[in-house]
Parts: sequence; C-alpha cells; structure tokens
Amino acid sequence: MLETANLTKRFNDHAAVNNLTLKIGAGEIFALLGPNGAGKTTTINLLLGFLTPDSGEARVDGSNVASDPIAARRKIAYIPEQVMLYPRFTGIENLDYFSSLGGRKRNRAELLELLVGAGLAEESAIRRVSTYSKGMRQKVGIALALATEAKALLLDEPTSGLDPAASHEFSQLLRKLADDGVAVLMATHDLFRAREDATRIGILRDGELSGNYTAEELKDVDLEQLYLKHLAAGPAPALSEGKTESQK
Amino acid sequence: MTFSIARKEFQDTWRDGRFRWAAAIVLALLGVSFLLARQQVEHQRKEREEATKMERDNWLNQGRKNAHAAAHYGVYVFKPVAPLSVFDRGLQPFVGSTVYLEAHRQNQAAFLPAQDSTSMRRFGDLTAAACLQLLLPLLIILFAFGTLAGERESGTLRQALSLGVRPASLVFGKALGLAGALAALLVPVAAGGIYAFSGISGMDTTTDESWLRLALMACAYLLYLGAILAISLTVSALAPTSRSALSILLVFWAVNAVLAPRLASDLAQWSHPMPKLAELDAKLLEARKQALNSHNPNSPAMKEFIEKHRDASGKLPPNFRVLLMEESERQTNEVYEKHFGGIWDLLEAQDEVVTWGGLAAPLLGLRSASVALAGTDFTHHRHFSIAAEDHRREFIKMLNNSHGASGRELWERLPPFRYQPPSLSQAVSVAMPGLTILCLWLAGGCAALYFASRRLKPS
Repeated sequence: MLETANLTKRFNDHAAVNNLTLKIGAGEIFALLGPNGAGKTTTINLLLGFLTPDSGEARVDGSNVASDPIAARRKIAYIPEQVMLYPRFTGIENLDYFSSLGGRKRNRAELLELLVGAGLAEESAIRRVSTYSKGMRQKVGIALALATEAKALLLDEPTSGLDPAASHEFSQLLRKLADDGVAVLMATHDLFRAREDATRIGILRDGELSGNYTAEELKDVDLEQLYLKHLAAGPAPALSEGKTESQK
Repeated sequence: MTFSIARKEFQDTWRDGRFRWAAAIVLALLGVSFLLARQQVEHQRKEREEATKMERDNWLNQGRKNAHAAAHYGVYVFKPVAPLSVFDRGLQPFVGSTVYLEAHRQNQAAFLPAQDSTSMRRFGDLTAAACLQLLLPLLIILFAFGTLAGERESGTLRQALSLGVRPASLVFGKALGLAGALAALLVPVAAGGIYAFSGISGMDTTTDESWLRLALMACAYLLYLGAILAISLTVSALAPTSRSALSILLVFWAVNAVLAPRLASDLAQWSHPMPKLAELDAKLLEARKQALNSHNPNSPAMKEFIEKHRDASGKLPPNFRVLLMEESERQTNEVYEKHFGGIWDLLEAQDEVVTWGGLAAPLLGLRSASVALAGTDFTHHRHFSIAAEDHRREFIKMLNNSHGASGRELWERLPPFRYQPPSLSQAVSVAMPGLTILCLWLAGGCAALYFASRRLKPS
C-alpha cells in the first residue's frame, strides 16, 4: 500500500533521507522511530508529495507520489502532531469541510456518526473547536481518515503531549483502522506506543533505515536498549544486543 | 469542491467579529456619505434653480435700455448639478458653478463650492467614492492577507493540501468566498446608493443614460476591488509569513492611495507645466489690447478698421456700428478661444498623464473612470463652459442685431440657457482609458494569483 524504493532527499549536502526502501501493506502499522533530525518528517513529506525526491520513488496504492501527487494524496489521511482545525467552526463543520476537500461529501448524520465513532462526544461535535483539547483534535483527524476512506494513514508524532488515557484511546482507534485494512505509518518518539501498536518497527538514523523488525521479532527485546544501540556510532546492532541478560 | 471551499471561506470571514465590526464601520461611513451627498445635491439643485429663475426675472424686467448696455448688464447661467455627484463629486468643489455672460469678455465659471468651506476641507470629502476607493481596499487587505499565509502558519493549509485538493481550486475557492463576503457587504451599499440616487427630489434620474452611467460606475468599482482582492491573495500565497504579507499589502495600499495620486499630479505638472496665473493674465491683457475694441477709438486696430470701411468719399457705412461690434466680438472671441483653449488643452493633457499613471497604481485609473461616468470631471466642466460661451455669443449676436429695439419684447428673444450635458457615449469614451487600465489590473491580478497558486507551499 505504502512503498518507497531507494528514496533519497538531500538538503544542500546533507541527506535527510538516504536510500529508504519501505513496504507497508494493508492492515500493517509501521512505527518509524528515530531521534530529531533522523528524517521521519521528511519521509512523511515525501510520501505526501510536499517534497520532491532527489532519487528513488514513493508510491501510495500504486500511485507515484512525484508524478501524480493529487491521486496519491487522495488515498492518504495525514494526522500531524497537532491536528489543525478552523477555530470558528464546530467539529462537525471542520470534518464536513476537510472530507469534501478529500472528495467525500457526507451528510450531517454520517459526519456525526464518524465523529462519535472516533470517540468524540456528540455535544462536543457541535461545539466550536477553539474549545477542543489536543486529544479531541486527534479524534477529528481519525474521523477524517474514516470519512475519506483513506487507504493509508500517515501519523507524525500523533501521541506526543497526550495524557495516557487519551493516548490509549487513540491507539485503539488506530488498531481499528488497521483492522479495516488501512496501512499506517507512524513517526514517533514514543517507544511504548510503538511496541504496543506497531506490527513492525523501523529505526531511522541519519536518514537511513538502520533497523526494521516485526513485532514478533521484538517480543523479548528491550526496545529502548536496541534503539539506543542503533543510535550509537558504528554498525547496526544485532537483534540479540537488545535482549536483557535474562532473555539471553 | 470549489464551492465547498468558497462557502467555508465565506462563513469563516463572516464569523470573524473583526470583519463584522470593520464592515459595520465602512457601511456606516458609506451611509452617512450617501445622506450628506444627497442633501447637498438637493440643496445645490434648489439653489441653482431659484437663482436661474431670479436671474431670468431680472433680465426680463431690466426695463428699457440700449441693447449694448443690456449686453454689458449681462446674465448669469448656472451649471446643473450632476445627479451622480452623490457618489463622486470629482472636480465639482474646485470648479465654478456659475458663468457671468457679458459683452466683450469670456468669463470663467466662478463661485467654487470649496470657497464656502472651512479649512477642514483640506482633509478631503467624505464621499461614497472615497470610501469605496480607499476604505474598502483596506478592508479587503485586512481580511485577505492571512487567507493563505495565515493558514500556512497555523497548519490548516498543510492539512487541506494533504487531502489531495488542487492548489488552484483551493486558491480560487478562497477568492470566491472572500468575494462573496464582500459582495454581501456591497449589497446594502448598492441599495443605499440606489436610494440616494433615485430619490433626489426635483431631479429626473430615471433616464436610461443615468442608470447606464451608474451601472458602468459599479462595473469600474468591481474591477478595482476584484484586482485588489487578487493582488492581496497573491501576496498572501507567496509571502513567507502573514506578518510579511500584511506589511507588503499595507505598503501597496499606501502607495496606491496616498503616494501615487500626489506623484502623478507632480508628474503631470512636470510634463505639461501650467504657466503662472499672473503670466497668463498679462498675456491675455496684451492680446486683448491688440484686438479691436469698440470702446477704444484711439487704438491702432480701431483706426485700421475705420480706414478699411471708409468709402471713396471718406464716409462710413450706415451699419458701421453693428459691423464694428461684430468684428470686435469676433476678434475678442478669437483671443479668448486661444487663451482658454490652451489652458484647457493643458489641463486635459495633465488629466491624461494622471489617468495613465493608473498603470502603476489602479486607483488613478478608477478615479479617472469614476469622475468621467459621474459627469464631474474636467471634460464635463469644459463642455459646460463651451456651452455657456456659445450661449453668450448667441446673446451678443441677438443684441447686436436688435436694430434699435429695446424692452421686454427684445429681452424675451433671448432663450433661457438650457444645458445638455455630454452623452453617455462621450462620457464612456473619456472613461475608456481608466476602464481599460482597471481591466488590465484585474487580468494581471488573476494571472499572478494563478501562478502563485502553482507555487503554493504547505509550509
């Protein structure tokens, strides 16, 4: 569903993303870990067509992002760290507007159902979003993914700043979307959420994919240790290096 | 999709309390300007009608006197008030409204409305034209500068573009939405304008020409406001931040509204310099001295004229006095035609420079078209002055050929002055350069907006 092949993006002489090859299938949740400046947001921008790659290509459900960005974006829902909405509009009005931009016009009852389905209380849906918390905004983002029937979901630090309960609620919605066949790419610093939700975890270092593991492979691994070892200078560590002494 | 974007933009703008307040202030100013202008037009019309009637009575009841003495007694004619001056007074406050017609002399229109005003007039009049030319563009700028630049900063532009909307559709939809919000504001303006125009008491504003002039004026203002909207959105699309967009647009407004009219006026004076009044008066006096004057028997021109008409026996023809007065009038007319014609040509050339200055600042093009269509420009004033002078010549000719008649019977032979202003087609031909300039600005603004939409960056 989401594919990159040798995707490279340079800013001056610095490679923000270098030869990145990824394949995220329908129903998969791929957590992309990495420190600030590792290239996570650049990868998302390349997949959205907001940046043009220097080499390689990105595809969304077969649509080449560079040559046909509009078609590719029509298959994507994007949820940034803070979902930005129009403060003078209610949740339902925001959803109506954004879903019509995504080419899906829905009636009021459907929109309300989607918002409630995303966990927003009915009375909140008809309130101006200037009063919304961050978690409520993220729910509108999820409702938008549902409304546009997106095939792929790009998340950029979606749980950053959410309280544990809101973060948990958000994870459940994410899993529900994946269960419905949506391919999810989640750029995050949240190792806990990555381990909880992801079916695969990739670690980016200096724009290159340093590690790419399935959830099954990481079952007995201390993810934090493995992650820190990936970030340390030198060659990528073996998976066993992330295991604790007792696990070894 | 474009309709959805336009609808959202319209709603968002109307929900913004700042827009409602600003719109209310602009509407209040426009309402007051319409009321004041209507009152003023009604007052001027009444005043001039009464003066015309009184002047006619004075003329008819002047008693028995020599026809030439009556020619020196003279008559006053009054310029009718242009109905569309309720929108744009143009030059009216600064040019005379009354011409004194007398023998041997072509007088300029006198009694400038500005002479009756206080020094506060230097700050300009509150007219509908001023509100639409200066305040409404400011309102457009204040609500368009953040349309794209502000959304880029807040992140909603990124959110919108991530959904696969075409940037051109987004920009076009936003332009439509803002235009819709402004149109909603212009509906009461148009209603107020039509009320102010159609209900002027004692004035026939129901002719097709008046309405066509009004419709064309409305088109000129829509072209202007459309161009300002397109420019504002272009800057908003290209500027890195909303603050820089606002700064750029305010500089544009200041140049267009404040600097350009003054610069254009200086440029016009530089390219077509107007001689000093004292110099002009001295030249006119000298030229009149050279011309034949029936009241100066010792002038060389008079001696030459007498010699020319003396027969072999040295006698003058019996109608010599009529011939003398006719020739004296003809020569004096030539002097004045050359004198005023030169000044008027110069003023029209200066107007032309200012109008074409509209290529640099659209307000100059709009002002030119607006005053031409309202009938308050210099061309209309010149037309009136020429009509008054034609009437004076008829008046003098009639009295010169009175063959000794005198009294009311003779005075009634002089028809009242009935002025017919320039036709719509004449007004349109004067307004055409201004309208063309506005079309160019709108087309240029739309083209710039289209190219800006292609370069629209989400962040």
